[in-house]
Amino acid sequence: MNIETTSDRLPCLGYGLGLRVEHYESLLDEPGNVEWLEIVSENYMIPGGRPLAWLEKFRERFPLVMHGVSMSIGSTDSLDDGYLARLSALARRVEPAWISDHLCWTGVQGINLHDLMPLPYTEEALAHVVDRVRRVQDVLGRRILLENVSSYIRFADAQLTEWQFLAAVAERADCLILLDINNIHVSAHNHGFSPLDYLDGIPASRVQQFHLAGHESSGQLLIDTHDAPIIDDVWHLYVEAVRRYGRVSTMIERDDRMPPLAELLVELDYARSLATPLLREAA
Amino acid sequence: MSHLQALQQRMLQAVLADQSPQLREIDDDVCANAASRLAIYRNGYRLRLRDALATEFPGLGILIGRRFRTLLDSYVEAHPSGHYNIRWHGAGLAAFLEYGLPWRDKPELADMARLDWAISTSFDAADEPVLAAADLAEVPADAWANLRISPQSHLQIISTHHNIEAFRRAADRDGKRPRLRRYDKGRHLLVWRQSLTVHYRSIEVDEISALTGAIKGEPFSALCERICEHHDAADALPLTANLLHGWLASGLISSWRLN
Repeated sequence: MNIETTSDRLPCLGYGLGLRVEHYESLLDEPGNVEWLEIVSENYMIPGGRPLAWLEKFRERFPLVMHGVSMSIGSTDSLDDGYLARLSALARRVEPAWISDHLCWTGVQGINLHDLMPLPYTEEALAHVVDRVRRVQDVLGRRILLENVSSYIRFADAQLTEWQFLAAVAERADCLILLDINNIHVSAHNHGFSPLDYLDGIPASRVQQFHLAGHESSGQLLIDTHDAPIIDDVWHLYVEAVRRYGRVSTMIERDDRMPPLAELLVELDYARSLATPLLREAA
Repeated sequence: MSHLQALQQRMLQAVLADQSPQLREIDDDVCANAASRLAIYRNGYRLRLRDALATEFPGLGILIGRRFRTLLDSYVEAHPSGHYNIRWHGAGLAAFLEYGLPWRDKPELADMARLDWAISTSFDAADEPVLAAADLAEVPADAWANLRISPQSHLQIISTHHNIEAFRRAADRDGKRPRLRRYDKGRHLLVWRQSLTVHYRSIEVDEISALTGAIKGEPFSALCERICEHHDAADALPLTANLLHGWLASGLISSWRLN
């Protein structure tokens, strides 16, 4: 397995956190070993006020990346020019190391479901997404990262596996990949595939970032809630991912039931302690 | 229509529908059937919108109490979300409460929603310069009649017959529900942001008139005339000057110009 950082990727930022309102003050007062922050783009695509004032403070202290939830790259509606214009404006203000969103669709016919809806893994959907990623990258003037989503349904007419689809989008559109390790675990459980097959199917040269998060069980299915501590199975999968892809910017993504910052810093240090010996071995 | 387009439209309708339809495109397996898998998306849509609305309308939550969830669910069912930012689904709630049954029978609900929404939209309105009293020292004494001041463009005035501000205050502080009071005469509330903090307070009709004049770009002399309509002519100048002083102290004015 190749554990070296490849030249296609952007520089690694180390270990970071998703920036959340609950941690604004503590992150500025005692940032611990946080090396970078990921902001939710839509929270700052606003005219002014307190959120942008806070953002300036963090911009002075940390490298930032932008992570969106509403690009709807897989939708059959037209790309939202207004959305992309606001995203571009925010990028000019933030100067992020990179911009990411999800490999999904969030609405159609002008209606937004505010969810990361899975795509059918077909050649038709692949061509559709590749075309739209290229157009978005032209507007933003840079490559974007696309993240794998957790899913609960599988389409009968799928021609590709999820990882084949994600890899093909990245190669054909020349974009990068944000791998959410928890989402791989959740979808592998829900659809009965091997998470290691997934990791093996993703080209290392495209993997720019990891998300680590928690989830919950609901009957026979796992639900991606990002509101709980990371479980051992996900940590094990993270180790496998580091073995395959090497030094990749890693962050804890907590969206709900927000614990004190110190709790997330412990998880972040644990991620560092798992990856460091593997990376040292490989050096 | 492409296959993908048709599939997404059927998925959309399945999520929005009252009852989960059968979608032949979705696989069953031993882990869970297609209906229960689809239900995760159906429930998630409603839950996310309800939570987002509850965050934007805390005063309404205190005012209506246990029926808050029913109210929000009825709005979500009647109005699918159209904005990429989930928070903006709240833009239509006050109108829904004003015209929709059974909510329209309680006009305080729509008024409350208007106040909550005005506070929410002021929170991240565009930053504008704030004029200080000292800045007006530059205005020559003989030019004051022609002075035109520009209020902050985000300020809003809410009209009501109820003590809705008490409910918002309760939501922001201890959550204790105050007693609902109805006033025979309509009252008005001014909502604005000073620096990064949103404020609201009662505003009387004379001040509304003067502020409206300022928004329209009328000169200071015209603002005095507006005050004259409510007070003795002899008091108009000092009263208008007092109002201006208060507006400046509250960060309500962004700039000035002559003619």
